[in-house]
Amino acid sequence: MSAADLARLQFAATTGIHWLFVILTMGLVPLVAIMHTRAAFTRDPAKRAVRERMTRFWGQLYVINYAVGIVTGLVMEFQFGLSWSGLSKFAGNVFGAPLALETLIAFFAESTFLGMWIFGWGRLRRGVHVTLIWLVALTAYASGYWIMVANGFMQHPVGYEVRDGAAYLTDFGALLTNSSALVALFHIALAALTTGGVFIAGISAWHFLKGTEETELFRGSLRLGLWVSTIASFFVVIVGEMQRPVIERTQPMKHAVLENSGVAELQARLVAEHGPGDYVPWQDTVRISMDVMTIIGNTVSTITFIALVLLWKDRLMRWRWASWVLVATIPFPFVASAGGWVVREVGRQPWLVYGELTVEDALSQVGTAAFAVSCAVFIAIFLALAVTNWTLITRFARRGPEATQLGATEPLPDGEKQPLPAF
Amino acid sequence: MSLETLWLALLGLLLAGYFVLGGYDYGVQMLHPYLGDDRETRPDRNAALDAIAPFFLGNEVWLVAFTGVLFGAFPHLEGTLLSGLYPLIVAILVGLVLGNAAVQLRGRSRTAGGRRWWDALIVVGGALPALCWGLIVGLLLHGVPRRPDGSFHIGFDAVSSPFVLACGVSTALLFAAHGAGFVALRSTPELAEKARHVALSLLTGVAAVGSLALLLTLFGAGASMTNRATSAVVAALFVAALAGAWWSFSRGHRIRAFAATCCATALPVLLVGAGHYPYVLTSSAGTGLTIDDAVTDDATLKILSVFGVLVVPVILAYQSWSWWAFRGRTGRRHPSYF
Repeated sequence: MSAADLARLQFAATTGIHWLFVILTMGLVPLVAIMHTRAAFTRDPAKRAVRERMTRFWGQLYVINYAVGIVTGLVMEFQFGLSWSGLSKFAGNVFGAPLALETLIAFFAESTFLGMWIFGWGRLRRGVHVTLIWLVALTAYASGYWIMVANGFMQHPVGYEVRDGAAYLTDFGALLTNSSALVALFHIALAALTTGGVFIAGISAWHFLKGTEETELFRGSLRLGLWVSTIASFFVVIVGEMQRPVIERTQPMKHAVLENSGVAELQARLVAEHGPGDYVPWQDTVRISMDVMTIIGNTVSTITFIALVLLWKDRLMRWRWASWVLVATIPFPFVASAGGWVVREVGRQPWLVYGELTVEDALSQVGTAAFAVSCAVFIAIFLALAVTNWTLITRFARRGPEATQLGATEPLPDGEKQPLPAF
Repeated sequence: MSLETLWLALLGLLLAGYFVLGGYDYGVQMLHPYLGDDRETRPDRNAALDAIAPFFLGNEVWLVAFTGVLFGAFPHLEGTLLSGLYPLIVAILVGLVLGNAAVQLRGRSRTAGGRRWWDALIVVGGALPALCWGLIVGLLLHGVPRRPDGSFHIGFDAVSSPFVLACGVSTALLFAAHGAGFVALRSTPELAEKARHVALSLLTGVAAVGSLALLLTLFGAGASMTNRATSAVVAALFVAALAGAWWSFSRGHRIRAFAATCCATALPVLLVGAGHYPYVLTSSAGTGLTIDDAVTDDATLKILSVFGVLVVPVILAYQSWSWWAFRGRTGRRHPSYF
């Protein structure tokens, strides 16, 4: 493999795995925030206890996933400079700004507030504590926005001009309102909510299958998960289709590959415009990914809608096969998300910044051996983390609310006093 | 002061913030099997890790913000620097990924065997980034082998020079001492006493290895600074901070001692920045990439500044709030999650 292939493999593997954590994090955090808010505003002590347990149970699964998501995200921030220094040479004036703003405006706050939320149980006032998780949710989506602005520039560069081989920002507003960023953000937000909703509904259904005693907790979770995933999965398909005209306008080659018509003519036209080269992405990969995403999107939308109807008179919990279908649905939104990522990112090859800079030209001057070692190390670590993440999530999901560690204070032995504060 | 100098100062503030906050995390990570282990009464907990827990997530973001600002405000430095330091950056990232995941997931394991694995990763995840950041500081102080096109690539010989190695080892020891100082500040009195003694021995180590780096510089085999006088002042401040920390630890002034180690961990960043200004990256030959070459276009910088003026004070405010909210010593009443 060449250095370019290794760098691409490294980027694709790390981003692809990171993306699977992101989609669940973004899907779970608003639902956890809703649960926490409901718990905080419930007066009846018994009900409140149930809702608080519910928040802590799902919150812990979210926090486990976030832990792995954040460490894989740390690597992403460095990848551009490590492997693609040509990107900062050409587009640094434009592309760097949204990344800088993402870290300063969104990520900084998200991580700090989540740390406070995790350790704030019984220590912070209830209103403050609930506000924190909403701030985490808000900043998670703000983070997504800035990342999509950066990615949107790579998909469809706007608001810039090229002088002496480098891009200069001319219209910040155009960069922020890039249709390639906004429609896609809307699409992934809905995909995330679908993923989170299906995740919660599926695990709740599993607990009913195992004859849980926490019926109130899991009924509430099931209802919330199904409502959110039904609505989100209905719109995710529609918003996904709304991207088609954007792609047709901005990335004619991706459109031609998806439609499977006119690829050869476009290749000839692009050669005339940009010089000799292969401007066709991996056609089969892109088309299959698109089909997988579409089929899963429609199927999940149907399943969640039927399940929502079956909630009436608890039929869903009594009909075991229906519950099993919900459990089996959990992985599919992840597969669809991976498919969507392939369509977007593989579909724009060979461009790094569409029409301006190819992936090949942006490669850092790093030796093949160094790329080979780092690629192997990162892939091994990321796969190990993914396996660990899913093993832990499965374990804590199966053990149920009783085993939740988040927010659980240990009993204080008799006669032992809390040490005095240091300052 | 010009706009780009302000952004360089902000970049320095973020990196210094990361050295101070991430530094004590790494120190505690390195020392936790020795400092916080309590096999008899609470085998599943670690008191040293409990001390850093509420701040852990908020500390690491300083590094991410540093990288983001590096890319946003100094894109021409970012591409050169990160790809040039490729092996070291990869090593830091590997350490960060393993260490961060281990700190957050250690509490999820059920068995003592599982915890031992996480513990080992926590130590590696503290020691590896600490050492590599020290090596990078050493390389930047000494100057990197830039090619005519401005790019450079770090090989084994550059990293294994005595000066760079001395910087690496002394930084790792300094972070460890700083971490011990943090445990001394936040843990129960018995543990705090133990941590104080550890910090004293570690500071002696920093002084010994640091003196070696200083001697090498005086004999021309170490740092080659652009601004000699400024560098001498910053280096003197660094020595004073170390001495202050040692004195405070030996007298039992834990807050003063921690303040001093905070200064000592932040000052190397100032040394690199102010010592080489207006260069942001120097060659071994003495010239280099200036701030004007590295900075982003004026239009972009102005937009970033509008956001920066609003956002940076907010960041400092909520970070301070989080420190305030979780002040005080750790104890059993504290929710322990990590």
